[in-house]
Amino acid sequence: MTRYLFGSFAAAQRQLIVVAAVLLLPVFFLPMLPIWHLYMVAPQYPEGLSLHIFTNTIRGDLDKINLLNHYVGMHAITPRDFREFAYMPQALTLFGVAALAAALLGRRWLAIAGWLAFTGFAVLMFNDYVHWLYRYGHDLDPRAAIKLQAFTPPVIGYQKMANFRVWSFPGIGTWLLGIAWLLGPAILWLERRAPAADDEDAPKAHDAA
Amino acid sequence: MKRWMMIGCAALVALAAIAQTQGCMKRVSGASGSAAQRVYVKPGEHDAYYAFLSGGHHGNIYVYGMPSCRHITTIPVFTPEPAVGYGVDEESKAMLKGFTWGDAHHPGLSETDGDYDGRWLFINDMPNARIARIDLHDFKTRQIFGPIPNLSAAHACPFPTPNTEYVFAASRFSAPVPLDRYVRAADYQKEFRGIIAGIKVDPKDGTMSMGFEILMPPYNYDLADAGKGPSHGWEFFTCYNSEMAYDSLELKASQNEMDYIAAVDWRAAQKAVDEGHAKTVGGAPVLDPAAVKGVVYLFPVPKSPHGVDVDPTGQYVCAAGKLQAEVSVYSFAKIKAAIDAGRFDGERMGVPVLPYEDVVEAKVPVGLGPLHTQFDDKGYAYTSLFLDSQIAKWKVGPPWAVVDKIDVYYSIGHLMASEGDTRHPTGEYVVALDKLSKDRYLNVGPTHPEGAQLIDLRGPKMELLYDFPTYLEPHYAQMIRAEKLHPITVYPLDQNTKPYAIKRAEDARIERKGRRVDVYMLVIRTHFTPDIVRVNQGDDVYFHVTNLEQDDDIAHGFGILWSSKNMQIEPGETKTMYWKAERVGINPFYCSNFCSALHQEMQGYIEVAPAGTPVAAVQRPDPAQVAEVAAELANE
Repeated sequence: MTRYLFGSFAAAQRQLIVVAAVLLLPVFFLPMLPIWHLYMVAPQYPEGLSLHIFTNTIRGDLDKINLLNHYVGMHAITPRDFREFAYMPQALTLFGVAALAAALLGRRWLAIAGWLAFTGFAVLMFNDYVHWLYRYGHDLDPRAAIKLQAFTPPVIGYQKMANFRVWSFPGIGTWLLGIAWLLGPAILWLERRAPAADDEDAPKAHDAA
Repeated sequence: MKRWMMIGCAALVALAAIAQTQGCMKRVSGASGSAAQRVYVKPGEHDAYYAFLSGGHHGNIYVYGMPSCRHITTIPVFTPEPAVGYGVDEESKAMLKGFTWGDAHHPGLSETDGDYDGRWLFINDMPNARIARIDLHDFKTRQIFGPIPNLSAAHACPFPTPNTEYVFAASRFSAPVPLDRYVRAADYQKEFRGIIAGIKVDPKDGTMSMGFEILMPPYNYDLADAGKGPSHGWEFFTCYNSEMAYDSLELKASQNEMDYIAAVDWRAAQKAVDEGHAKTVGGAPVLDPAAVKGVVYLFPVPKSPHGVDVDPTGQYVCAAGKLQAEVSVYSFAKIKAAIDAGRFDGERMGVPVLPYEDVVEAKVPVGLGPLHTQFDDKGYAYTSLFLDSQIAKWKVGPPWAVVDKIDVYYSIGHLMASEGDTRHPTGEYVVALDKLSKDRYLNVGPTHPEGAQLIDLRGPKMELLYDFPTYLEPHYAQMIRAEKLHPITVYPLDQNTKPYAIKRAEDARIERKGRRVDVYMLVIRTHFTPDIVRVNQGDDVYFHVTNLEQDDDIAHGFGILWSSKNMQIEPGETKTMYWKAERVGINPFYCSNFCSALHQEMQGYIEVAPAGTPVAAVQRPDPAQVAEVAAELANE
């Protein structure tokens, strides 16, 4: 087991790890790919209102949505409220760097540890996102003109909310992160006969060290 | 690699071909099917054309969609429109200069290279000799030029030149020049003169300014059109009453066999002014053709002509003698040759007259009462026949013959073909603008609506598609392909640089200097900030209202009870309205333009205290209210 963890990858698998790192790049390094979308359609908004969440900000029809939300006493959605935007790009950068390091050094333990941390981070962030949705729908101003039952906007998928039909779905950024994440088990599967290969590679690796 | 590029190119070509066929199929399907199918625009879909119909003695512009013939909006121009505060807010009030009436006749779209460019729409106010410019980027009147000095009734107006270098105005009434001279009408021939004015248009922002005026014989100048292509640089004006009658015109002005078209070389006129050959009269540079040659010529037209229209190629000038049954067609090449050769048949008050036989090209027997002519893309002209209540379609060029006629209901004046006065008419539709509607619609009493008819030009025969009533009284109109216009839907707040604009709740305030009170107010769903305004009796109160909305169609109103003061403020806009605090007491105000679910709650009070009550120089709204609005605007 230890030998397996401290062993190194074959060239093909190393390249796949580089691919994983490259996939992460546009999501964190240049936060230009959205990670989540909320799309809302109402009778008087046939063109729809959108929120696009990036790793470092929220864009879209914020002003229009906030103006509508004030009737039901929802907090204004503003990028300033999210501490997450201050560390999310950096954290993802770290995973990208870890993946690159794992590819360069070829060390299995580094790749697996990075992958596990990445998985944990993703679970935490998703949980955080659900929490935010809950908070927006529950922490309503009691003085609001229109009193709503507390609610949670759809985490993923479709939901009808008052006169709005709301869709919530991951953006291309999340899809890329997902592919990067899936490359972890994929590489392990490709490596399923690795220990045998390791025996031959090991001396070379020691020489290099 | 090469192979991939080949495949890529092939795919692109295929895509383009598909796009082309689909475009063609759309066209063809539009021309086939029943009349009902051809005017039917499905709910939620848009028309293919904007049509701008003059509002006549309403002094405004009606905007219609074609082919559905749906009235979309009305643009206030020369007359106040209290619903939106046009003529009420300080800016539009200043533009109207106190006039509450105008008679708008001839909309003219701005052009580039002789085709509509979709930038501006010009329209004349005949009686008060004014020209307005509507910016088509927001469909708002942005300038009213005039009253034009020395000029009585701008009927032949504005008829822009092919690159919108100039718009024109010519006097329907001759009068003493300058106007503020007392003379008797009996001294008409000696004392009265006509005026042709060239108004320069700034190519960047459309601002109109005085170019030149030409002193003309005291005839009645009627209609105009700009030369294009080979005749670019010239503007043509019809006139009647070459008899120079000043009373009983009906009889006395209909005696001569021939009246005239005046052809103005506007580049020569501007050059003469720039070289200092003009005299300043009534504040305008006026050229006297007796002293300054080479600027204007006359050529004879039979029987009190009305419309003059230059064909798309710019070779032919078509004039309709309203008391005869023919359209007279003049060749610009012949006009130019006669001028160059100096072949003149005498002068009228210094204006050389070209011999009729030297310039006329053809006479087309179209029918009774020909008034105006429009064109299509296949070399045909369409002339309205007032007396016959018909449109005649005729071939521009040999054999100069009528090929089709269609009845209209009734007594057609102008007609408007799709882009039919440009260098490239689309040849799809013509709209008949009828002076009488009589029995065509549900009876609404003695004041009948005007009538209009949409006619399909795409087949070999003209085909009546639809009847629609219009309110008083479209004269001329313009029809432009919808894709040429790209109007905004909100005013971007970050581009609002109005001096009285405020964009933060913290800036909402009431400032007092003597009796002048400036209220810096902001509106956003669904409140005014401030909504309590404290003033004293006798104060001059200026409400500067900024609408902070940036959402489509969320305009707010600001109407004050017990007054005629109301205005609409569009998203991102700032407007100022003056109100005099005349009565001690409480004076409510409210949002007069339905905006949202809590529109009825959008209101406020003006507290009017007795004169001399001490009031702070600067009042600010309740800090809690400001904080609440500020929180709502957190993202701005």
